Amino acid sequence: MERKETVREFLQTLLARKGDHQPFSDDASLLLSGRLQSVDAVSLAVFLEEKFGVDFAESGFDQEKMDTLNAISTWIEESSHDGQ
Amino acid sequence: MTAAAEPQSAAPVPILAHFSFLRRFRLIPRLEQYPRVVALAQTIVGKATILALFGLGLDYATWLHYLHNPRWKVQICFLVAVTALPKYRRILLTVGTLLWAFGIWWQWADHPQIIQAAISLVIAAMIFWYASHFRNSWLGRRPVATLLTGFTLTVLLASYLPRGGSVRTAAFDFLPVAGAYLWFLAYSLMDLNSKSRDPFRLQLGTYQPIWGSTNTPFPKGAAYLRRIEAKTPEQLAVAQLKGVKLLAWSIVLDLFLNYVFIPFVHGYLGVPLYEFAFHLSLVRARFPWYMGWASLISEFLERMIEFSIFGHRIIAVCRMAGFLALRNTYSPLSSRSIAEFWNRYYYYFKELLVDCFFYPAFMRYFKTWGRWRLLAATVAAAGFGNAFFHFFRDLNYIDDFGFWRALAGFQSYIFYTLVLSVGIGISQMRQRNLENKTQKLSWIRTRLIPPLCVSSFFCILRIFDYTYKRYPISESFRFLAHLFNLVS
Repeated sequence: MERKETVREFLQTLLARKGDHQPFSDDASLLLSGRLQSVDAVSLAVFLEEKFGVDFAESGFDQEKMDTLNAISTWIEESSHDGQ
Repeated sequence: MTAAAEPQSAAPVPILAHFSFLRRFRLIPRLEQYPRVVALAQTIVGKATILALFGLGLDYATWLHYLHNPRWKVQICFLVAVTALPKYRRILLTVGTLLWAFGIWWQWADHPQIIQAAISLVIAAMIFWYASHFRNSWLGRRPVATLLTGFTLTVLLASYLPRGGSVRTAAFDFLPVAGAYLWFLAYSLMDLNSKSRDPFRLQLGTYQPIWGSTNTPFPKGAAYLRRIEAKTPEQLAVAQLKGVKLLAWSIVLDLFLNYVFIPFVHGYLGVPLYEFAFHLSLVRARFPWYMGWASLISEFLERMIEFSIFGHRIIAVCRMAGFLALRNTYSPLSSRSIAEFWNRYYYYFKELLVDCFFYPAFMRYFKTWGRWRLLAATVAAAGFGNAFFHFFRDLNYIDDFGFWRALAGFQSYIFYTLVLSVGIGISQMRQRNLENKTQKLSWIRTRLIPPLCVSSFFCILRIFDYTYKRYPISESFRFLAHLFNLVS
């Protein structure tokens, strides 16, 4: 739950940088809807690498897996299980 | 309204609050925001009206340019079917796409290429099957890289086949058709990582789909279609209303371009076409430097409007089919950075490069590059990926000149992609700072000067955006020098 809130805060920061202060639900599309651009996706990826140790080298970066807050949380969860 | 329906830049801009009366103005009203209209669009009468309006619009848009193109008739039949049977949308998309491809599209070439298209799709099916069943193989682990390497080697080998021989003729008959499906297959292979991936029969519907495409997949692949597909009657109504609006907008742009802009600029003002001005420079004919600027700027604007018209029409049909795709072109002239322009100008090409080159390069190969990681991955995508796409799109040059001479003739476009990618990379690195600073600056310094600078960059770079391999890069530089009155 704490992880999810950390990611939510980061996503809010990314959106706020673009002047987008609209709220978003846990299932709201952020990347595929165009609210966040590829450069934001990169910031998100670097954040997940540094904060949660997620490694995209093998799995690749799939926008679908990073599109919503819920999807990101699930992805972090799965990655941490894989790493154990 | 679904999240996917939101515009690419939905964020309100504080400075524009002063001009809110302008922001509220819409040449084409936001029909999808009126609940009564959305409710009506869900009834049989509403659906029939929308389809009839859209059919008339497609007919008119086609009449404006391609008098004998029957595509709109096939498209409207398809739209009637998917509107009546939304549950079977994806399979109808496959059926419609195949009927269009084999019934009309591949028969339109200089000589019918149905056999080549059929072989291409069979090979695509085999590659998809192999990659999905042997995940530990090269193709399974690095599907896109393996696919592109395989295609490159095939083309290279074909270029060494004896000229005039039947094998070479057959190879260069087949390879452009296979190349037309290459990037669609790449998206299918990327979809293999998805838990809810589509079977190949549904992937087929995205291969040169019935709503239109180039070698760039519109709008991306099956994974994206699943995400943006209308799930409820209300979402379908909104998607279709937005489809009608986008088609109407493309017609407005078309009328403006062909009945106002071109007659005024090239007729009344007498500005020569860019190709003509460039030709004058080639044959060392004298012409005023400001005429060169005028032809370059008009070419830049015309091309942008043409891109919008062409992309809007494709996405309009896609939306009518129940997929709420983003526009391909979205107000590029309002971009405040090079990266933003690149994103707004040809969205689906940019997405293709991001998915196939940028993410793999960023996530896998440049992890230790620190602050240069972003720039390196951008050069890999907008530089290398961009050049790769265009070089292997125009295979006729490789057939005519041979592989290495064709590559040498590509120097101007390689230079273009290099400058473009470095520009985008630096722009991305600066973007964060700009976003923080611009809130304190005046409208002129945020909304006027940056878009002008960005547009100027792309306008001048247009001189090198040249893929036809007929002239050396020195001619592009000579034209550039002429613009600044440095050569006569």
